[in-house]
Amino acid sequence: MIWEVFRQEEAGDRHTHCGNVHAPDREMALLFAQIQHGRRMQTNSLWVAPSDEIGEVDADETEFGGTTDKSYRWAITYNQIDASFAEEVAESEAEQEEAAEKRGDV
Amino acid sequence: MAQPVPGDLSPVEAQLLRLADDEYVLAERYTEWQIYAPTPEADLALANIAQDEFGHARLWFDLLQDEFGYEEADLLWERDPGNFLHSPLVELETPDGDWADTVVRSYLYDVAERLRLDALADSSFDPLADRVRKVQSEEGYHREHAQSWLDRLTGGGGDAHQRVQSAVDRLFPHALTLFAPTANEDEIVAAGVRTRSLADVRADWLDEVVQYLESLDVVVPDPSAVTRPDEVGRDGSHTGDWAALHEEFTATYRELGFDDPATLRSENA
Amino acid sequence: MDIDDVKARAGPREFSPSDDLPLEYREAATRMLEFHANSEVMGGYLDKEFTRMAPSLDRKLACTAKCQDEIGHAQLLYRAAETLGVKTREEMLADLTNGEGKFLNCFHYPVDSWYEAPMIDFFVDGAAMRRQATLKDTSWEPYAHAMDKVCFEEGFHVKHGEDILRELMTSSKANQERTQEVFEEWWPRMLQFFGPTNDESTHNDFAQQVGLKTVSNDELRNSFLNMYMPKAEKYGLEIPEYPRIFERDDGTMAVREDDLDWDEFWTIAKNDFEGSHEQIGSRRRRQEAVEWVRESMTDWETAGADSPQAAD
Repeated sequence: MIWEVFRQEEAGDRHTHCGNVHAPDREMALLFAQIQHGRRMQTNSLWVAPSDEIGEVDADETEFGGTTDKSYRWAITYNQIDASFAEEVAESEAEQEEAAEKRGDV
Repeated sequence: MAQPVPGDLSPVEAQLLRLADDEYVLAERYTEWQIYAPTPEADLALANIAQDEFGHARLWFDLLQDEFGYEEADLLWERDPGNFLHSPLVELETPDGDWADTVVRSYLYDVAERLRLDALADSSFDPLADRVRKVQSEEGYHREHAQSWLDRLTGGGGDAHQRVQSAVDRLFPHALTLFAPTANEDEIVAAGVRTRSLADVRADWLDEVVQYLESLDVVVPDPSAVTRPDEVGRDGSHTGDWAALHEEFTATYRELGFDDPATLRSENA
Repeated sequence: MDIDDVKARAGPREFSPSDDLPLEYREAATRMLEFHANSEVMGGYLDKEFTRMAPSLDRKLACTAKCQDEIGHAQLLYRAAETLGVKTREEMLADLTNGEGKFLNCFHYPVDSWYEAPMIDFFVDGAAMRRQATLKDTSWEPYAHAMDKVCFEEGFHVKHGEDILRELMTSSKANQERTQEVFEEWWPRMLQFFGPTNDESTHNDFAQQVGLKTVSNDELRNSFLNMYMPKAEKYGLEIPEYPRIFERDDGTMAVREDDLDWDEFWTIAKNDFEGSHEQIGSRRRRQEAVEWVRESMTDWETAGADSPQAAD
């Protein structure tokens, strides 16, 4: 069966999909994944999961984030308030601005 | 610098050559599977193990160079085949398609290797002890790999199980030569180069492999009852399979007329 | 999507498994990927010979690592092909075994000496790397991802290949002469690596229209000549007089196509050359010999799925 492999580069990072291996069970999948996906790139940890168990929903099937206005849940909407008083609030706003650009909302 | 000759070695040299030669020859046999292995994943895993083993051989050859003045050519390319000290277990040809042979050979070797390395971890010869841990950590994967295959090949019964049994029948007598002594054996133990005798290591090895293989319904031959092969390896005596392999891997070196084998190391190696 | 949409949208990494692509696109992409994956495997059959021959321990290690990479790349490429939903890995491997699967011309010629190592590991690999670099912009996203990993890993292959050449060409006269002889034998095959110039290749046009192929055969050969002829000359190799290579008005290099043996090339393309039979046959025997292992693993997997402790 096919197992999808996810690599964590360094401790604390998220695991990211990096490919797959064919193996009869999870133990062999882990043995094989170490070599196919961990022998050259910086690797702290590998996960394997059966390919069949991975579900997917994509942009063709659903509107991620909705279609009706939900700007109330973004800090950038509150433009009469100055966030600079608290570093962490300002940082959150900056990150949300970046995400908005990626979504094509600005 | 002349090449090493069994019977004319210091205890440390003898111990290092046993290590280096075993790993080198085993690796040669493993690489024969490249591109031919049952699946791409199996191919990559065994290729990695082969690289580990060549890497270990290189570690021990380097030590022989640093401490005893040998050059790579003396140890590999220009050494007489009869001056190699590896166990015949590792030199035997792998029959075509016999993946069972390789995993059985790997298992028998890897258990012995773990016990050997454990007994070298506190060697009185510091440069040896210093390198043991690096080798041990790679060998862990090798054993896990071999056992995973054996569990599965014997798990289904039928044809695969029989092939594993045949491989054990054929390889076991040769595996016993892993524990045969070189001429320096008494000194190796007396000087603390190795902290356990071959007899003790052999006893532990036997207990472990018999218990594991029997748990898979594989019959292990009785060591006292097997026909011992003539070739022992540790005294330089080897099978025709080794002669053929040696001829093959040294052919290009001789044809090219090189005398300084190329090295490819980064500055951090 | 219909084929006109595909052509309109074609661009780097434009299409992925979540797109509903017409069969024509998916078949063309499968063909390309299958050829590429098969070539990694059949190239491996030549490369593995060099591991046993290698005249130093470090070269032996480099050779074995290269073979390992080739199988790794085959694995990635078969997977990228599978995602198109046309053929499974098993089907592609079966076709390679039975002589239906196509692969690079250079790998239809068995090797038997170390002198051939730089031909495969420097020149042929170099040509492959050039092509692979351009495929990072292919329209099939999983193919491009595979190329990212392949290109990352392959750098040392070509450098090692060059180092082997350097060592041979700075050693004895006999070695240099032998290397030159072998180079002359391989040179025409390397030039045919890229296939015939544009108008001859059947599938070429479509592959370019849908963005699978981003650069023409001719452009690839031109890059190769510009990069590798100077390298060959640097090490004292003489470029053979035939096939004649000349510079066009626009500065690009061209090869007198008539000077190359295209009969041999097309025989190879049908897997009908002597070397083709030898290599395919050799692989078939090897694969049959280990079929029992694959069957055993399938049995194990099925038994595991049926048992209550399926997860572990």
